[in-house]
Amino acid sequence: MAVHESDVCVIGGGITAVMLIERLAQLKPGLRITVVEAGRSIFDRENRPTYHRRAIEYGEHPWHGDYIEDQTAKGWISMTMAVGGQALHWGGACNRFSEEDLRLRSMYGLSTDWPITWTELEKYYVQAEHRLNVAGDPSPYAEDRRSAPYSQPAMPLSYNLQTLKKWAEQSGLKFSPLPMSRNVTAPADGRGQCGLYDTCGDVCPTGARYSPDYTYQQLIAARKVTLHDRMLIRKLVLADGSDRIVAAQGYHQDRPNDVTDYRAKWFVLASGQCWSPHLLLLSANARFPNGLANRSGTVGRYMNGHKFISAQAMIDEQTFPGQNMTHSLISREHFRCAPGAPFVRHDTRVWESSAGKEPRLRAADGRLLLGDELLDEWRSRATRGSSVRLRAYYDSHPSADSRLTLDPSSTNRYGDPMPKIDRQLDAAATAREAATLAHCTSVFERMAKASNGRLTGAPTVSDYWDHPAGGCRMGTDPASSVCDSYGRTHDHENLYVIGAPTLPTGGCTNGTLTFVAVSLRSADRIAEGL
Amino acid sequence: MKRRGALKTLASAAVALPLLRVELRADELPADQVFVLRDVAATVLPSAIGSKGQNDAVDNFLRWIREYKEGVALSHGYGEPRLVKSGPTPAPGYTKQLVALQQAAQARGGRFGTLSLEMRRQLLDDAFKAADVRTLPGRPDGKHVVADLMAHYFRSSAANDLCYDARIGRNTYRAIRVTTVRPPALGRK
Repeated sequence: MAVHESDVCVIGGGITAVMLIERLAQLKPGLRITVVEAGRSIFDRENRPTYHRRAIEYGEHPWHGDYIEDQTAKGWISMTMAVGGQALHWGGACNRFSEEDLRLRSMYGLSTDWPITWTELEKYYVQAEHRLNVAGDPSPYAEDRRSAPYSQPAMPLSYNLQTLKKWAEQSGLKFSPLPMSRNVTAPADGRGQCGLYDTCGDVCPTGARYSPDYTYQQLIAARKVTLHDRMLIRKLVLADGSDRIVAAQGYHQDRPNDVTDYRAKWFVLASGQCWSPHLLLLSANARFPNGLANRSGTVGRYMNGHKFISAQAMIDEQTFPGQNMTHSLISREHFRCAPGAPFVRHDTRVWESSAGKEPRLRAADGRLLLGDELLDEWRSRATRGSSVRLRAYYDSHPSADSRLTLDPSSTNRYGDPMPKIDRQLDAAATAREAATLAHCTSVFERMAKASNGRLTGAPTVSDYWDHPAGGCRMGTDPASSVCDSYGRTHDHENLYVIGAPTLPTGGCTNGTLTFVAVSLRSADRIAEGL
Repeated sequence: MKRRGALKTLASAAVALPLLRVELRADELPADQVFVLRDVAATVLPSAIGSKGQNDAVDNFLRWIREYKEGVALSHGYGEPRLVKSGPTPAPGYTKQLVALQQAAQARGGRFGTLSLEMRRQLLDDAFKAADVRTLPGRPDGKHVVADLMAHYFRSSAANDLCYDARIGRNTYRAIRVTTVRPPALGRK
């Protein structure tokens, strides 16, 4: 058995891991940090312009081999498993949650409160925004006060979004550019400036949209971290006679019979909302028969995120689809809900769209269109008003039975049961589903009225929860939570869980910035204990 | 007339080509079928891009065929991910379809481009129905070579610009400031 020793062993190599490692390395120079990632390193940034082209022309996945075929989960929303994780191909949206997210129980009598104050979390939002070089403008809503400005001004609105902002604001809602983690004004942190390829969610040819692989390479080059990739941690091992973690057992993809024992003073589980609770459950032993860190029985419970409602509108104003389709407008009007009023919280998003304005092979009567006919028919639809994409991510509170469980019917090459995720709303959230849909529909209809607009169909509710989180929720009571507000597990003093899994609830807007903020807070606490 | 003459010359050359033909790669179309494709392109691509633009579109499509990779993971998607890999090269199927199209045209009196528009439409309509092509593919999908040529062009950034008569440049490198104003018409600098 090979043995690898370090001060801190980080399990999982995504965006929260790299942010934590960078922070720890700053606070404690010389600290021996090892990050162990099941997926491979994809550091060939010189090929990304080619991958960008091939993604557009052939639909090829631009992150080659970013998955492990037998390491899969039912109910997940992304297959990506690689150094950098899902943030290799995120859109870069960096919205904050709001104070209401942290005080759902005390303000509304719903779900649970977070064990962090807004003032405390806000400090780490500032740090996260700085590290991710977020481009944003102050919110037009006074409640969204900030203690520091963004690193860059907001991504300038395209002509299309300027047009849509004027249209949408006739509803009375105030919109602003979505804060984005993109190098808008200049190259920064070894990454290029935005060239508006508009494929952030696939691959960014210039690296302008923050991508963790750049930071990993910098940290590795500076010898601040040792990366072991393609190494799957299958089990955390307890010390004899103590609840401390003594080792993490790794299996390399090319040497599946060899075990590597990762020994460290501190272990940080940074494997996201799916694989973090999964590893804890897999690591069950005689003393912890229900899984490590699971005396409370809450590992794998309260899986959250949020559902969303989508719609398309048609308006009279002319836009030109393709200017900047990955950028959007956001209104935080409905982040707040007056206490006593029917509870509904959501963001409101607006994108340019080409829906209904794509070229067609056949005319309405079924006649095949050729050459000029096809172009003329296309032009007659495309240049008559605009299509607009609308969405509302809404607060979706999980029940205790919103669960990740081990599924014995699906196993990997080692015979380990794979995760099965089944998200469930709690009773109150279930009871207000119809009212939430009706409310969001009315908001969209109010927006659509301007400019002779109309919704082109009934708004639809998503069949999955976006920006997933939960499974190792934080809390003050060890009987009902997995870890404290810093991610330190109640049951194992040298084991932390960071990022998405620790969130008690998933908010009503993109989650990555919050995942990073709470992870940076974990880093500070870990450094204090070193 | 000049163009028709040139096509005639090309057609003669194409007939002679089998004698000169060297071993083709599986992902290439024979020269005589490329000729048929260029002939069809004049019908299915817009005249606004001119014969040079149509030939360029065919060249781009031929490059697309040559650079096609088999067995490559396609985008996993988000929300409901699944692993799908690219299939075999569509080139052999394309060749058969072009031969069939050429034969069908000859049975109706000559080269595809010389037939009446309605006859050309009927030929393609029959071919598309046989290949189960119902809509313009999102990108070439190997069902029918002509539908795929059309998809490759009409789904392009250049075609989007042509449709809107505007320099939008979707998915190409652009300075951000360029997108903050109404895009200029194609004829304007």
